[in-house]
Amino acid sequence: MTPEGTGFLYPFIEADERDAAGLLEDLTRSAAAKAADSGRLRTATLAGLEAAIERAAEAMARRFERGGRLFTAGNGGSATDAAALAALFSGPPYGRPLPARSLVADEAVLSALGNDVGFDLVFSRQVIAFAGPDDMVVGFSTSGSSVNLLLAFEEARRRGLLTLGLAGHDGGSMAASRCLDHLLVVPSSSVHRVQETQDALALALWTALQRLLGETVARR
Amino acid sequence: MGARSQTDGWWRDVATSALTIARRFASGATLWSISPSWPAHARHVAVEFVHPVIVGKRALPATCLVGRDVVAALRLAARAGDVVVAVAPADDGDVAAVMRHAPAWGLHTVWIGAGPWRPAPGAADHVLWLDTDVVDAAYGGGFVLVYHLLWELTQVCFEHPGLLAAVPETGAEGMCVTCSDEGRLAEVVAVLPGNRASVRSAGRLEDVDVTLIDVPSPGGLVLVHAGSAVAVVGEDT
Repeated sequence: MTPEGTGFLYPFIEADERDAAGLLEDLTRSAAAKAADSGRLRTATLAGLEAAIERAAEAMARRFERGGRLFTAGNGGSATDAAALAALFSGPPYGRPLPARSLVADEAVLSALGNDVGFDLVFSRQVIAFAGPDDMVVGFSTSGSSVNLLLAFEEARRRGLLTLGLAGHDGGSMAASRCLDHLLVVPSSSVHRVQETQDALALALWTALQRLLGETVARR
Repeated sequence: MGARSQTDGWWRDVATSALTIARRFASGATLWSISPSWPAHARHVAVEFVHPVIVGKRALPATCLVGRDVVAALRLAARAGDVVVAVAPADDGDVAAVMRHAPAWGLHTVWIGAGPWRPAPGAADHVLWLDTDVVDAAYGGGFVLVYHLLWELTQVCFEHPGLLAAVPETGAEGMCVTCSDEGRLAEVVAVLPGNRASVRSAGRLEDVDVTLIDVPSPGGLVLVHAGSAVAVVGEDT
């Protein structure tokens, strides 16, 4: 970058070139450390919630056998987790496909409800429109306090649906809600780490459910 | 199991990918996320950057492309210097096609995936391959951890503005046409009368002579050198 012999004129450039290597070193160590944190949280949470997951899977299996359907919901990154879970249930790589869809899939419905009646009601209004007493609602929230999920759970409980929440931190408002049949809390205040473990919980739930329905889904 | 047991070299690859992404954002690039097999991942990558989970962090230009023809969509939307992040298995034909065309479009590429089959070496600028079951990666948080880390590390890079300045490209853009003994990848935009064609190389348009080749239709790939298209590049891998 600089001609030889003039480095003394631009010492900061030399320092920057060294610092790129230093920065990469820091980033590398940081990545490995964060991944280790994520792994520990995942392992501990899965172990602690093993019985809760099994209970939830049993309850869901009974409803699927009665013809019930799964609706999933969440906001932001949690919306994509909800979409992914619905996709896993309805179009699994192996095992039994189960009727499931997310309440975040339709931008016309979301924007219409959000615009006309407010975003707090985007999920509860869909529960009113679509859901019946054999159905299930699973809501993802890293804080546990998303109003539109809490209202959806209230509406779902009113109609006899099974309600399952995934939350982070201390469970937030979901922990205080009386409308949740099942609550899986990831005890961390890092949104990213909570999401990663919530995905692992959702997969564990699906795996348990497939086993209860008599499917073999053993993986490496 | 999974990303958490990857080697040091693997985390180094994640770090260099993040630095690339940060540098590209610093020069005004857009990040495009694609995931034909798992559209939720394309959406998740985009929302991570455009609406960060940490209050006060910049909203960065990141968009997902979901839909049938991701190659055509990127050809139209992406500009030279942009970044494509793909979350896909190695046998995803659409993603492989995007990666093949990316140098012609002037794009930087990151391919995140999992499974026993891997993309060929050099298939993307950065290949981040999880040594874990594909279902664990796609549905159990494996991929999510990777792009969460890319976002987190990118934020750290932004704290070092001196290292974000444009780095001379070592790929097609930096090659000297008159002394290079390699062809540059280019995509045919239009065939012109008089044995010429308009092509796009490293995201820039140029006219070249096509006398030497059986020029493909628009969208096809060729190698150009010193003003001429010298070879057709096949689409099959």
